[in-house]
Amino acid sequence: MHEPAATNLVHQAGEVAAHAAEASGHSITHMMMHLILQLAVIIIVAKIGGYLFQRFLKMPSVLGELASGMVIGPYALGGMIDLPGLGVLFAENAGFAASAELYGIATLASIILLFLAGLETDLAAFLRYSVVGSFVGLGGLVFAFVLGDGLAVMWPDNGIDSFMDPAALFLGVISVATSVGITARILAEKRKMASPEGVTILAGAVFDDVLGIVTLAIVMGMAKVSMDGGEVNWGEIGIIAAKAVGFFVIVTSLGLIFARKITSAIKKFKSTEIIVAICFGLALLLAGLAEMAGLAMIIGAYIMGLALSRTDLAHEIEHHLEGVYNILVPIFFCVMGMMVDFSVMKPVLVFGAVYSILAIFSKVLGCGLPAFLTKFNLRGSLRIGLGMLPRGEVALIIAGIGLASGIIDQGIFGVSIMMTVITTMLAPPLLVKSFEGGSGLRKELEGGSEEIETIILEFPSRDITEFLLHRFIRALQDEEFFVHHLHTDQPTHRVLKDDIAFTLIQDGNKLQVNVPSANQHVARMILLEELLSLSDLLESTKQMKGLDEMGSDLMSGLFA
Amino acid sequence: MNLKKVLSPNTVWVDLKADSKQGIIEEMVDRLVSAGKISEREAVLEAVFEREEKMSTGMQNGVAIPHGKTDAVKSLVAAVGLNKAGVDFDSMDGLPCTIFIMTISPLKRRGPHMQFLAEVSRLIGQPAEREKLLACQTHNEIYELLTGK
Repeated sequence: MHEPAATNLVHQAGEVAAHAAEASGHSITHMMMHLILQLAVIIIVAKIGGYLFQRFLKMPSVLGELASGMVIGPYALGGMIDLPGLGVLFAENAGFAASAELYGIATLASIILLFLAGLETDLAAFLRYSVVGSFVGLGGLVFAFVLGDGLAVMWPDNGIDSFMDPAALFLGVISVATSVGITARILAEKRKMASPEGVTILAGAVFDDVLGIVTLAIVMGMAKVSMDGGEVNWGEIGIIAAKAVGFFVIVTSLGLIFARKITSAIKKFKSTEIIVAICFGLALLLAGLAEMAGLAMIIGAYIMGLALSRTDLAHEIEHHLEGVYNILVPIFFCVMGMMVDFSVMKPVLVFGAVYSILAIFSKVLGCGLPAFLTKFNLRGSLRIGLGMLPRGEVALIIAGIGLASGIIDQGIFGVSIMMTVITTMLAPPLLVKSFEGGSGLRKELEGGSEEIETIILEFPSRDITEFLLHRFIRALQDEEFFVHHLHTDQPTHRVLKDDIAFTLIQDGNKLQVNVPSANQHVARMILLEELLSLSDLLESTKQMKGLDEMGSDLMSGLFA
Repeated sequence: MNLKKVLSPNTVWVDLKADSKQGIIEEMVDRLVSAGKISEREAVLEAVFEREEKMSTGMQNGVAIPHGKTDAVKSLVAAVGLNKAGVDFDSMDGLPCTIFIMTISPLKRRGPHMQFLAEVSRLIGQPAEREKLLACQTHNEIYELLTGK
């Protein structure tokens, strides 16, 4: 009696599982199809938007990508386009403008962006300016937090009357987080990444990020306690804060200490593609660990980039990730643009405008003032203040957390979006404009870099110069140097290995080598050996058959 | 770069005896043979002399860097020797050479071969450093001086 019943049960269970698999299998295919179509639209529209902004408005393509997102987002065109069998092209998903899958790809893009930003940072310069960077980051943080929180308290009829009100605290912390990504890309586009201002902005933004997240953790703790009607538990806040700061300090130090050992171990694979992929994998790993430690993922990616930036692999990784970057990063900015919901912003427009203006002043003053008091002149301080101006993904993520946890309402969420959009849209053109003109450093601090020797060799023709340049590059690669071709008008190569770095430039029939004095021996010796090897080549051409004979061999029989 | 990986106490010598360019090269190669670093003496000598024919490796201020490429060695072989009396090495400035840095590297294999020469040259780039090297009395002293930095 029992047996058939048992068999029946097993059958039923099996059927249920099969149905579930079928159902989920179907929906996954469906979801992916929807996602792929979304990505197709995003990539094409973002790229074209970026191109149009760059070409006709002379603005960075970032802005075009953001604007494209606003146009095709669920609150604009995207919400109106109905795909047969799939539904709306871009639908709002639980108060979020992007589906989880799409947001996942945008997150990956933000990790690549920050990983490359870390890689491009000249660490020697970073350490030289990091004291300034920390003051810049801290100044911006304090000004932004106090002004954001204070405005919420001062504004009439919004029900917020205490500096410790959770919503006020959130308005403070949302206006803190600078989005280094947008600034980083502009710095890269304008080749200002390694400038003192660029390094200070990136260093400041790292402090800003870490301190911003620590502030968020503290605010979350305080908000929870005050929402429960209790008193603030300082012990817990201390633990969360210590964890966040500790992660950054310890992991960065470890990364710097072990980067050389890690890269020499990875180099055993001999294939650049494998090496680059593993390094990127490590960046993702650290990003995940950062998130687990209560920091943002982008901080982990940035730290990994920073740790690898001092190794000779940095340029190889940058070079190999360039293609991925060019496709994925516009998706990130486009998705950010899609998050903008114009209808939610209407009732809170005036408050949003004042909040945005204060957000601008808080960073320009809060970051510019410490910069001015240390190494920079007015021009440099303004560049740093403007560089720290854009709030982006972190501000939106924090606003999302606030909305999800019920601390802020839809209106304040709208204000946060407005501030993010305004600062993000204002910063690029202002930043680009501010970088026109001379040095941003105080006069007494200009120059002082290590001495560079220029070796110039002139050859009878451009062909011979080109030929020797290639021979020289091959000889350098045989000596295990990494040679990286830069996309500039003149053929330029960066040569790297451990601490040695120099550039080769072909200028017509001249070959120019710019090398730090300390490394000139190796450059000169390898150049000499290659010049001497030309004599072998000349000797061997004498052994060739006569050109006439070779020519007639080639042509004979063509006209029978 | 780490010179300890390339140099060893039995490939640095304070007491090279030969008094000619050819003699110095042969003596260094012979000593590398007895140190067990080289087995094909003739092939190595041919490679070094072939390079000398193109252009003398006698540099300036008493430094010479005889070197050659041959598949008679599987990895970089290097030696540093002194002849304090000085030897005519067809140097660029015509001065006799007292410090000899020799490298023999494989023809096809990749590696920091010239970089080794460059690193040692850089270490003795300044007169004070060359004087310190020439003041060495034992093989070990040279080894310590070059690899201690």
